[in-house]
Amino acid sequence: MTREVASPVKPPPPKKQRWGADKVYTNLSYLAMVLPGAIWLFLFAYLPMPGIIMAFKDYKLARPPQNDWIQNKFIYSLIHSPWVGLENFRYLTLPTNIENTLLYIRNTISYNLLFMVAGLVLSVALAVIIFELTNRFFAKLYHSILFLPYFISWIVVAYVVYALGSSGGIINSLFTAVGGGPIEVYKEASYWPFIFVIANIWKYTGNGSIIYLATITGIPRELYEAAAVDGAGKWRQFTQITLPHLIPVIVLLQILAVGRILGSDFDMFYTLPNGAALVKDATYTLDVFVYSMLRSATPLGYPAAAAFVQSVFGFILILITNYIVRKTRPELALF
Amino acid sequence: MTDITVKPAPRQVVNFFSRRKHRDVLAVSPRTNIALNLLLAFFCILTLIPIYVIFISSITSEASLTANGYRLWPEEFSGLAYRFLFSQGSIVMTAYKNTIISTGLGTILSVIMVGLYAYPLSRDNFKFGSFFTFFAFFTMLFSGGLVSYYMVTRQILLLQNTIWALFLPSAFSPFWVIVMRTFYKANVPNEIIEAARMDGANEWRTYLQIVLPLSIPGLATVALFSAIGIWNNFFNCLLLVDDAQYYSLQFTIYTTLNNIRFLLENADKMQGLVNVSELPSQTFRMAMAVVTVGPIILAYPFFQRFFVKGLTIGAIKG
Repeated sequence: MTREVASPVKPPPPKKQRWGADKVYTNLSYLAMVLPGAIWLFLFAYLPMPGIIMAFKDYKLARPPQNDWIQNKFIYSLIHSPWVGLENFRYLTLPTNIENTLLYIRNTISYNLLFMVAGLVLSVALAVIIFELTNRFFAKLYHSILFLPYFISWIVVAYVVYALGSSGGIINSLFTAVGGGPIEVYKEASYWPFIFVIANIWKYTGNGSIIYLATITGIPRELYEAAAVDGAGKWRQFTQITLPHLIPVIVLLQILAVGRILGSDFDMFYTLPNGAALVKDATYTLDVFVYSMLRSATPLGYPAAAAFVQSVFGFILILITNYIVRKTRPELALF
Repeated sequence: MTDITVKPAPRQVVNFFSRRKHRDVLAVSPRTNIALNLLLAFFCILTLIPIYVIFISSITSEASLTANGYRLWPEEFSGLAYRFLFSQGSIVMTAYKNTIISTGLGTILSVIMVGLYAYPLSRDNFKFGSFFTFFAFFTMLFSGGLVSYYMVTRQILLLQNTIWALFLPSAFSPFWVIVMRTFYKANVPNEIIEAARMDGANEWRTYLQIVLPLSIPGLATVALFSAIGIWNNFFNCLLLVDDAQYYSLQFTIYTTLNNIRFLLENADKMQGLVNVSELPSQTFRMAMAVVTVGPIILAYPFFQRFFVKGLTIGAIKG
């Protein structure tokens, strides 16, 4: 999605085209090819978009009368529910709720920042180290092993947390063996930031390094040779050659990450704590908060208001980040 | 906003692992090399330990697991959990069936939809190319939010409590569309397509007979990732399925772990209500986790050979 610097071979200037039968036929064929995907996008991505107005309505499920032209319960209820302005948002900021709302927003943002920094540093480091290894076989072996967790579901990781961290788990056996107190991960919130960061690193570092490895592989060898001749050490070569080449990819990935800063890896945050209510303060992110409100008896307007904040602010953030990048380094902007 | 077009990569993308030539001049010193090897070997062991723990506790005898807790090397082995798991035609088997069916159908659908959607976007003579690129890309930036999505999938698309709920919401991805578009541009020369058109093949025939065979590595990568995505998917089932008949594998093993943890922690409060000894044994649970990741780990050595290639080609720009 990055912009290209320049194509080595210039495409011939397009001839002046008229809309002959042939062109119409070609474009109709193309449209037919695009159709299934476009229908999916319409149904699963665009159809829910107008529903965002639920955040400003007192949504109540109503049965459409027999003669009404809308027979779908959801659409009918959505249209006929009264507008309540910012009432749903006010609920989230009531004195009794404001603390939780802010805590979950803070959790979401700080976990995302931690993951962004840890992911970036470790993935780049892994890519550089793997590239420096002289033995291809081992390089490949290490990379395959470190990539493997990417394919393992968070639910299985929840089992691992249970096997390692529960009262009969390995970590507790080790701690009690050296005379330490028992660690109850499902009862003590302060362990969870560590668990999430470690789990995130475990799962995503190998996958994250692929894109950097591919970029490093594409850097012309001559640059390094020239630098080595001039007496630059490995560190100098990294900061002066490797890093500048990685910057476009890094910027691109970080823009996308900033857009998702109010979102989270729902499966991880929801399944790893295993529904333990005592650690809620450290494990709830906005996603989990919205989901839990959605599934409890609260009026749907409340989770809708939280979800509205999530999508709209995420969208605004990505626009702002992209705007700043475009102003400073236009060639790195996403769009 | 509209100029999000991706031009083909100017550089030849080299698969790093297939490089033969040694970088003698630039190679790190042997001592550093050994240190780096040791470092990575250490992290590899750390990475594998969790998977190992799950596996080893699934073949531990229940008695030794209860007595000693989880261990890196059990005192007594037992295959009882697996015999139990496969003997009863229970929830695990139903969930296995649902997951296999939805993974199969979802993968086929996603390869067809992504492959077909991305191809016209890679062609210069598609009049609506930039519109449909934006149509897909915009969904990566903005969404209607979970509540609205929940209502639409349940009330309008009527997916609740159907097998469709397990794979249809994951059967397409704008991200892979952008990767595949780049793949087509980089790997299918325009001249070949033009030649086929000259010979009178229409767009569909050109796509099926000329473009498709050249795009196997890219489409295989899409297939692989969507297969694993649907196999590992938990959210679709959580959101849309309430009927145990349609539970997916991940959801089933999650609820098992969740119920047991809850019951064990509250066992004292429910004296007489549940008999803790009647709960599925610990080894049985670990065996469930093993059969969930088993197929992926077994298939891993076979597919990891080509996805590095497929990924680097798309990922360099995606």
